[in-house]
Parts: sequence; structure tokens; C-alpha cells
Amino acid sequence: MTQPAHSSVIPRDARPREQVVLFSIGEYSFVISASSVQEIRGTDSLGGIVVDLDRPVLSKVRHIVERDARSYYVVSGYEHFHLPLSRPTSVLILRDVPVAVLVDRIEEMAEMRILLGMPRSFRGEELIWYRGLTVLERKVLPVAEPRGFLTAGELQRLEDENPGLLQNAGHPVGTSRHERESV
Amino acid sequence: MNAGTNNQVPSFVVLQVGTRRIALPREGVAELIASPLIYTFPHTTPLIAGVVLRRGRILPVLDLGPGVSGALSPSTRFFLVVERHISNAIEKCAIPVQGACELVSGIMVPAADLDGYVTGHLDLNGEQIEVLDLEKAIAFSASSGNEWIPATEALP
Repeated sequence: MTQPAHSSVIPRDARPREQVVLFSIGEYSFVISASSVQEIRGTDSLGGIVVDLDRPVLSKVRHIVERDARSYYVVSGYEHFHLPLSRPTSVLILRDVPVAVLVDRIEEMAEMRILLGMPRSFRGEELIWYRGLTVLERKVLPVAEPRGFLTAGELQRLEDENPGLLQNAGHPVGTSRHERESV
Repeated sequence: MNAGTNNQVPSFVVLQVGTRRIALPREGVAELIASPLIYTFPHTTPLIAGVVLRRGRILPVLDLGPGVSGALSPSTRFFLVVERHISNAIEKCAIPVQGACELVSGIMVPAADLDGYVTGHLDLNGEQIEVLDLEKAIAFSASSGNEWIPATEALP
């Protein structure tokens, strides 16, 4: 995995490389490491079982989706980044975290050669959201942190308010459960 | 930017933020740049309007407008690159400016209230220019209540 430098570009020959997925939400583009993405599906073809959270303690998470015997919290990308309402058409199902992220579009796959740490002037939630910044085709793009979509604290809150739901998403009791073609 | 001529007299960079002319001590200013593009992405840090690329480095763009002139700075392609001291490190930031910047020498009259972000005044041909403490101005702007710059309203 590309190690972040701090706001200075690594010499060209020494640059590590990392495959990334370029996606967009609203008018903004982001990248995320391809190795952290298990699957990319359209919202219309996601399939699986969707369970509504009884207690949606986070506005950005209202459902769990179960696919292939695994369950994921469905995170609204635009709400996560505090953006205006958008129209998600794709879902990034992440690999090492129980998270599926709704995004507007998948733009392309690309090779990231530089990863710069967030400038120190940044002090907000972006330090959780992003691994850093990269430059692709002379555009500066934030590199999404997979574990930033739901922090350990947020996961704990979801679990506390919906105990056992993630583990039992395929066998829920007393929850709204339905086969779904779109999320 | 005009070069100063007298090394014994302190130098200041006079710039225009929004509708207001202010001055910063020369020592903290690196350069004036023209950047055609400002890149924006979602974040929640007050005052930051985006970033610009400069010689392979990414510089945060700090809009002092809300605190200094009471409104977001108009769109511009000129930025004054200043050095901030953050966590025992120096970080260069870009401040959007309107119009020309000047490098002037002069004696600053210290402000009566040293708690504020104005550290003194310069008399430039009868015009009183406030000299700012950059870090205090940033802190003031960030706490002034209208510091939030939604990504959708940030400089293009």
C-alpha cells in the first residue's frame, strides 16, 4: 500500500504504485484503493437481502445488506461527506470492513503513484475520511480511507442500538427484511 | 511586487482580501503565485476553500475573507503563499488575493489592543493599513461564526 508522504512529491523513479477506483458523488471525485474494494455493483443489480435498521442512529446508515453470507452497513456517500442530496447508482462493497458505500458513479480505474499526507491546516473530519491526497492527470483528488466511512465508534453505536443485527442480518427477528432490487 | 530598499526598516506585504487592504509581515510571505485552478473536495475545516498545486506541492487555500472583510473572497487566480507554523512544522498556504500586492517598508505603529489579530498600523501615503498577525486572524476568522465555507460555495 502506498505510504503517505507529507505534501511533497516522491521522486518519480521511487514512486510506489497502487491501483485505485475513481468514483464521484455529486460534483466531487474521489479515489479509493482497489484492494480495499470487494465488489462494485449497480444499485439496481445489487441483489441480496436488505434489512432496515430499527434504530438508524446515524443518518448516513439506514440499511444492512446481506450478500454471499456477509452483511454490510449501507453508507450513503453524500451524507457521509455532508454533500447535497445526490443520485447514487453504484455501490462499493468494501473488503475488510462491513461497509457498502453508495456513490453516484464509478469513473474509472487508475494507477496512483503519489499519496500525500493531508496538509496540517486541515483539522476536520477529513482527517478521518481520507488517507491523503493524490494527483491524477494534474487533478488533486482525496484518497478515501475505507475505515473512515464508519469509524470504530460509529460501528459500536450501530451495534449497541441494533444488537446482533449485523451478525444476524440473514436471520433477523423483528426487523423489516425484504428482498430488494435496489438500495 | 516591488522590492524593498531599506533592510533596516521592517517590510510588509500589502494585499487586498475582499474589499479590505491589509498587511502581513514580509518574513511570513513566500511568494505571490497565479494558479489557474483550485481543487475542492469535501472537508469540514473552517476557512479552507480548497487546494492549489504549486511545483509539485499541494497548498491549502485559506480564505481570510469571512473574518477580515466579512464575506467570502471573490474568485481569483492570484494567491499569496504564506508560511504557517503548525505543530512545530512550517506549512505553506495560499491566501486568495484581489489586485496587486505591494512590498513596502515602514514603521508599524503598534495596536493599542494586542489581544486582537491587528498588531499595528502602517501609514501608506495617508492610508492606514492594518498589519495582521496571521495566526490570530485565522483563529478569529474560524471562530467568527461565518467561517464555514461549504464545499459548494468555495472558490471555483
